[in-house]
Amino acid sequence: MFLNAVILVLQEILEAVMLISVMLVLTNQLRRYWPDTFQVRTKWVVYAVLSGTVGACFYAWIMPTVSAWFDYSGLEIIDAVMQFGIIGSLLGFCYALNPAVFQANAPTRSLIASIFLIAAVALGIVREGSEIILYGAGIIGQPENFTPVVLGGLMAAGIGISSGWFLFYGLVSLKPRHAFRAALVLLALFAGNMAAQGVLLLTQADWLPYTAELWDSSNLLAEYSVPGQLLYALIGYEANPSLLQAGAYIVTALLVLSSPLLVLARAQAQATSS
Amino acid sequence: MSRKSAWWVFLVLLLVARTTFAAVPELTLDIKDHLFFPATIEIPANTKVRLVINNNDPTPEEFESYSLNREKVIPGKSKTVIFIGPLKPGEYPFFGEFYPRTAQGVVIAR
Repeated sequence: MFLNAVILVLQEILEAVMLISVMLVLTNQLRRYWPDTFQVRTKWVVYAVLSGTVGACFYAWIMPTVSAWFDYSGLEIIDAVMQFGIIGSLLGFCYALNPAVFQANAPTRSLIASIFLIAAVALGIVREGSEIILYGAGIIGQPENFTPVVLGGLMAAGIGISSGWFLFYGLVSLKPRHAFRAALVLLALFAGNMAAQGVLLLTQADWLPYTAELWDSSNLLAEYSVPGQLLYALIGYEANPSLLQAGAYIVTALLVLSSPLLVLARAQAQATSS
Repeated sequence: MSRKSAWWVFLVLLLVARTTFAAVPELTLDIKDHLFFPATIEIPANTKVRLVINNNDPTPEEFESYSLNREKVIPGKSKTVIFIGPLKPGEYPFFGEFYPRTAQGVVIAR
């Protein structure tokens, strides 16, 4: 049960940890280069984690009810809504920082950007955290499994948080313009992953039609292998994606990449090279 | 065609689509004492199937399969539905992520 708990909890928290790290790098860069305009404090992480945890507890509590909605496809539908909510919030963040109007009305825009930021991370935590809570709640009734699961969960939390620090410091130790661009690319891939997962959920509920499998690389790199899991958390690696999943991934990633954040990345690169 | 009648055609098509979906073959899988019953399910190849899962345990379980590309939490003492396929002929292992040591099974598409 110990190893099982480590893997399960790690799988669930890696995505949220990666998102937090990438967004910390972005906000860090934005604050450094536009200190008068970008007034978002690092405290957003605290708000996001707290509201996400409360939300995850609530969602885990109502999960049995939600599960029966829409002819027993309630979990897929609500989870998909959350996935697309995360994408919407991330795009909202990108567009709130539109350089054409960003300088004007800076406090309001910074506030809107931080609300989107908190919403995206909190929704991510609700989605993944609720499964950990449900799993943990089931274990409480089994005294023989309690200690190994709690220890496994703590160990997973340790590994997850250290990988987040590793990613954060790895990125900020790059040259600033590379850090900004790498974070933007990772954010785009993360959003693409959210879209692909949303599409998969709706296919599983039969709300979206089956589309052909594009490729099968499970022999090359299995999803359950350690590198497979890490790539899944980081860029949404899927060994056998469907046409619709891949399409949603690419479109969403391009939406983030072509957002006003790219203009800011260019402006920052210019500022650092001169 | 006016916009209103176009909507009606769309609605009728949607209803037709729903009834065709209702003709999807259905199979039942039970969870008891962290085990799947039956542990082997045979389904027709190249056909979408509605898989009904009854979790008879008081604890939650998570149906997971990498090859089927499916993942779903099933709260304790509850029922759920997962659509799988259409699948090429072959074997597709699945497991319960919360109790993977015992909860194992395989879908065989023929």
